[in-house]
Amino acid sequence: MTPPAPAIAPPADDTPAIDLVPASQFTIEELVAAYNQTRVDYIVPMPMNTARLREYVRNYDIDLDRSFVVRAGDQILGLAMLGVRPGHTWVTRLGIIPTQRRCGAGQMLMEQLIAQSRRLKVSYVTLDVIQNNKPAHRLFSKLGFHEIRELMVIRRPPATPPDDVTIPPCYTVQNLSHRQAAALLGQRQSVPSWLTENRSLVNAGNLAALRVELESGGRGWLVYQKTIFQLGRLVLQTEVGDPHQVCLALIHALHTHNPALDTKSENLPVQDPHWPAMQELGYLESFRRIEMRLDLS
Amino acid sequence: MKTILLIEDYADNARLVMRTLKPYDYHVLHAVDGETGLLMAVEKKPDMILLDLGLPDVEGQTLISLIRNVPGLEQVPVIAVTAWPSDTARQMIKAYGCDGYISKPISPKAFPSQIAAYFDPENEE
Repeated sequence: MTPPAPAIAPPADDTPAIDLVPASQFTIEELVAAYNQTRVDYIVPMPMNTARLREYVRNYDIDLDRSFVVRAGDQILGLAMLGVRPGHTWVTRLGIIPTQRRCGAGQMLMEQLIAQSRRLKVSYVTLDVIQNNKPAHRLFSKLGFHEIRELMVIRRPPATPPDDVTIPPCYTVQNLSHRQAAALLGQRQSVPSWLTENRSLVNAGNLAALRVELESGGRGWLVYQKTIFQLGRLVLQTEVGDPHQVCLALIHALHTHNPALDTKSENLPVQDPHWPAMQELGYLESFRRIEMRLDLS
Repeated sequence: MKTILLIEDYADNARLVMRTLKPYDYHVLHAVDGETGLLMAVEKKPDMILLDLGLPDVEGQTLISLIRNVPGLEQVPVIAVTAWPSDTARQMIKAYGCDGYISKPISPKAFPSQIAAYFDPENEE
């Protein structure tokens, strides 16, 4: 049950009171329109349509009863969403339309989502803020969030792997199904962000995996999502051997078998040992996010 | 008359582009998302595509890859219109086979000559 949303005093006598309304009381179309309006001036606007937002809500366990729209009278000023999973929550899609910023609406939304998280008795709340979004970073720091790490959104245009990179010779590849890919995720050692948690990947579906063994004895696996137009959601793990060599073999195999597909993968930690090999095989950093966390217990 | 396909989801930006190009000898088509844009590109075979990289259904970079695979569109100039920082924009357009980029917000004064230069690079000032 969602508690009643608080109202705060209006900024001037002739302006309507600002209040928070659960996002579940709006249609997906209304939420999409509001969200897109909040992002029009972003360097990385990431607009959505209704299909994308529905998918986002499903993939990332967004609880629309615990997500909120901030409103002044009939006018939507902004919104923020809360992902809910056992033990922790995730703040996402926070945005205020450009003309309504710096009036406390963002803080009001954040405080409500933190209060919702406390009611759920979770241990911590996380969020990802785009690097250089200083106003948002300031707000999150003021509310007690601290930086965890930097994450990269990476891309690779469709192409076969370049010829001038030395790939480990005579590696063997095994292609694995969605079910086998999901099972491999259970052995994962890397620490995921919300977007890359096993639950996000399984919710998103269309997973596949590759397992490679190198002549040198190195071995590892790669779980990925394959859709009609794109590869994504890459999770790499070196089980034995040099991560650079294992990654070269995995990525080489992936793109040799899928030369026509664009690739985008979100939230690879900047310190990931596989990243240098990925760069050698054509991956580019698109932009960075900073993962932040607020401990509640 | 040259045909330009503008793929841009944000109505204000699309209006500004169309208003800016109206006095010139171009036929401007507008698609509000990537899927519509791809279908229009296939059907109309424009002389140039102006592409917003942040679209609601498919990302601009992915769309470039799709456009380049359509017979007859391999050589059509694709110009990204983006607010990315210039270093990132340059890196992305080179990697994805775009012919250039124009920074957002567009300058109504400079925009027509930027477009003309992409049509006729030898006459670029």
